[in-house]
Amino acid sequence: MDIGLFGQYLANGVMLGTMYALVAVGFTLFFGVLDVIKFSHGDVLMLGSFTGFTVYIGLLSLGIENPWVMIAAILVVSIITTAALGAIIARYLVLPLKSAPPLNILLITLMLGTAIREAVRLFYPDGSNPKAFPALLPTASVDLGGFALRADSVILVAAGIAVIIGLNLVINRTRLGLAIRAVAQDEETAKIMGINYTMIVLVTFAIGSGAAAFAGIMNGLYYNEVNFGMGLLLGLIGFCAAIIGGLGNIYGAILGGFLFAGLQTIGAVALPFASAYKDVFAFGVVIALMAWKPTGLIAERSSDRV
Amino acid sequence: MSEVLLEFKNLGKNFGGVRALDGFDMQVKRGEIIGLIGPNGSGKTTSFNLMTGIYAPSQGEVHFDGADITGMSARKVYEAGIARTFQRSRLCLPLSIFDNIMIGNHARLNTGLWFNLFQRRALRGQVEEFYTQARDLVAGFSEDLAGRMFDPVGSLPMIERRRIEICRALISKPKLLLLDEPSAGMTHDETAQMMDDILAVRDRMGGLSIIIIEHEMGVIERLCDQCVVLSYGRKISEGSYAHIAADPEVQSAYLGMD
Amino acid sequence: MQNKTIPDTRWMGLPHLAVGLIVIAAIALFGWQFLLADSEIAVLGMVALAAMAAFGVGKTGLNKSMSAAMRNHGRSMNIAILLALVCVIFLLGGEHFPLLMLTTTLLYMTVAFGLNAQFGLTGMVNFAGASFFGVGAYTAAVLTNHSALPPILILVAGGVFSALIGCLLIVPVVRTAGHYSAVVTIAFSVMFKTFLEVNDVLGGPQGLMVGPMKTFGWDFNSSPLLMGMELSFYVNYALLGAGLAALAFMFVQRLERSWIGLTLDSVRLDETASACFGLNVVRAKVLAFTFGNILIGIAGALYGMMISFIAPNSFSFSDSLLMVAIVLLGGLGSLWGTALAAVIVVLLPEKLQILQEYRFLLFSVVVILMLLFRPEGLMPRKVRSYFPNWRPEQ
Repeated sequence: MDIGLFGQYLANGVMLGTMYALVAVGFTLFFGVLDVIKFSHGDVLMLGSFTGFTVYIGLLSLGIENPWVMIAAILVVSIITTAALGAIIARYLVLPLKSAPPLNILLITLMLGTAIREAVRLFYPDGSNPKAFPALLPTASVDLGGFALRADSVILVAAGIAVIIGLNLVINRTRLGLAIRAVAQDEETAKIMGINYTMIVLVTFAIGSGAAAFAGIMNGLYYNEVNFGMGLLLGLIGFCAAIIGGLGNIYGAILGGFLFAGLQTIGAVALPFASAYKDVFAFGVVIALMAWKPTGLIAERSSDRV
Repeated sequence: MSEVLLEFKNLGKNFGGVRALDGFDMQVKRGEIIGLIGPNGSGKTTSFNLMTGIYAPSQGEVHFDGADITGMSARKVYEAGIARTFQRSRLCLPLSIFDNIMIGNHARLNTGLWFNLFQRRALRGQVEEFYTQARDLVAGFSEDLAGRMFDPVGSLPMIERRRIEICRALISKPKLLLLDEPSAGMTHDETAQMMDDILAVRDRMGGLSIIIIEHEMGVIERLCDQCVVLSYGRKISEGSYAHIAADPEVQSAYLGMD
Repeated sequence: MQNKTIPDTRWMGLPHLAVGLIVIAAIALFGWQFLLADSEIAVLGMVALAAMAAFGVGKTGLNKSMSAAMRNHGRSMNIAILLALVCVIFLLGGEHFPLLMLTTTLLYMTVAFGLNAQFGLTGMVNFAGASFFGVGAYTAAVLTNHSALPPILILVAGGVFSALIGCLLIVPVVRTAGHYSAVVTIAFSVMFKTFLEVNDVLGGPQGLMVGPMKTFGWDFNSSPLLMGMELSFYVNYALLGAGLAALAFMFVQRLERSWIGLTLDSVRLDETASACFGLNVVRAKVLAFTFGNILIGIAGALYGMMISFIAPNSFSFSDSLLMVAIVLLGGLGSLWGTALAAVIVVLLPEKLQILQEYRFLLFSVVVILMLLFRPEGLMPRKVRSYFPNWRPEQ
């Protein structure tokens, strides 16, 4: 394979990996604080990108056309909206089921995801058709030996990685992060230490959902399209990534995200069958990985006390 | 047949860098009730889990009834004749009393697919036979409970649940019964009742050995022939209750004095 | 214990069996008319009527009498229900569309019974129900087109293939629990549909034709004659579907009312404690998973033959979720609840075209409310009684 094509695939893989890692980090944060899976995560992401799209339409109609202003507005509004939505889901759907069988929360959020997806399809104007998301970032490119590295790609990846690093710093270096980690370690003790448990849970869900909105906007800017079904696949991939990395571990989520993107790229490029099989291949490997390491590559702490 | 039913030789378990149990030697004779005591985190439940195959030991051996059962799976250990209760009651709450006890009787249930789906008459014979046995066992604890064999366990108070848990362990007629804090979550009177129950069980099932983990020293004093004291994963004392109660090392382990 | 008085649960002084038979007849009549109703208003009226009847049943003590009938006259009642179903099928006679709806409902019911063995009893949620259904349908498509196998064997083959594909998942599904197990079946579900779409041999996104069911010289796609009257060819499929649902019901019910059912429950509720009492957790999971997939696969094969044309879009993750929703709505482990929920989830949107477009939204919201406020389902499962007419305590 010539070096240019290789570079193209590599750039694409890194882009996907960053997006997946952003989604997976959300799954792992939720699991960390509450030991639950919030499967509606992907559809919250989709809602975030639709919110962003709506903001774009609104700004256009107001006559504001500066791309940087637009991006800032899109990001701020969609992140705030999804963060609020994440907190609301945690408050009204997840926390009330805290003492029910853990699978019920997975089920209820799966159903919520379907509801969000269907609601957008049915009630957003012309929601069942894909929407053309604007290319707001500069598209200038440098030629690197047969492959064009575009500025927007570089900006997106850099921003995505910055967000991941930022999240990691928040979790590991701030008082808020300390409280989140305390709740993740031991809910009871954290409560005794005076941590406002409910507040921390809600904030964690808000942060995770906000990160998903960021990934959603990234996705829109990269593919220049958003559609109502995008969240299902992205959510599932994020979930798979968090699981193969090892739930509850932020590095595991990042590892899982890039691993999945790598698998897709390998499936598209290096394997003998048609590139259309790349997702089949990637999911197949995920299933095989689950057989080999049932609790992920970076194993979760054992929770079944006897 | 040897006098000794169960023997630990230099048993140990590490969790990561934490040494939960270290060089533990112990013997249990047939028909004996042993009290296993020690502060929280001293390795009592860990030793139960090592015996019953939930964890594999990091070092040492477990011998039971003349056979080496070190590292055997939980199923094999149960089939060898060790049954247990759990620190936090682990009954299946939505299932009936009868169902819960039958889980303990699993080795004798015919779980063949053909038998269960098509030989309904034979299945009915087995259900009726085991029902009678389970009912008699429960009646030994409480006649009232024996009349409610098809009530869900979740509807019962704590003491009744403990009793069902003990019945579930006893129905398989084990040689060794492990009781993990049977008095947890019960009032003083209920605990006293529970002790009577346990002594009555031992009398009825001659030769049954019991190891009991307990924090209530009153329970230990009344029930146990021998006591073993653990602290930070090591055995620090053993002997009669009077002996260990007078042991200064035991006192300091409990009171935290040096 | 002999002299414990049994409270009189008879309804209006009638014997339980008589009450049971009357109720079955009433439901059959209702079902017949419901399937035929063609205006939205009529359908809405009948739904309201059914809701009121369900409410009234609880108030008048009819439900107690009904469950006594089911308990004491189980066999007669089951035969009566099956007969009533057959009557409804013949009464619908020449009506293509209602028969198609009825059969689809019966096949989804079969699927939900299979899922119930996996999820309701053993606690293994299978989010790939529609995929295994699809495996059955595609098996039927390939075999009817490329082999001379008698169709009845093709049905069996649908079940066997579905179980075999299930075996690919068995190692990860059995080794993992809860969330981890869920990701395996969800990933499989998405993977399966993508695979169908990109695979040219299986027709790609356009799908495949499926040959009709032919058995013992009886062509299922030709219209049978009854007393000189030509019936819809769907009558054949409806009868077979009814037989299949009845068999599936019987198998799962017997499974539940047995030591195996107890084992599965125990594995669901506490794996660690189960192992401590010698239960073979792996065997229980493999058995339940395979058993369920066989039922789902057979139903899928018959479904394929009936609609005679299949495409990947019928076997999507959303369809799998709808199947799980049936089980949740009915009540985990509750077979009659599952049957009722299958009728609600499959039949209602077909009859109320206005709902059709909104059905995924509607049922996901219903399940959310259910999980929040009534997690035990519409008809909660009762404590196991191995032989319902055997009550040693009374």
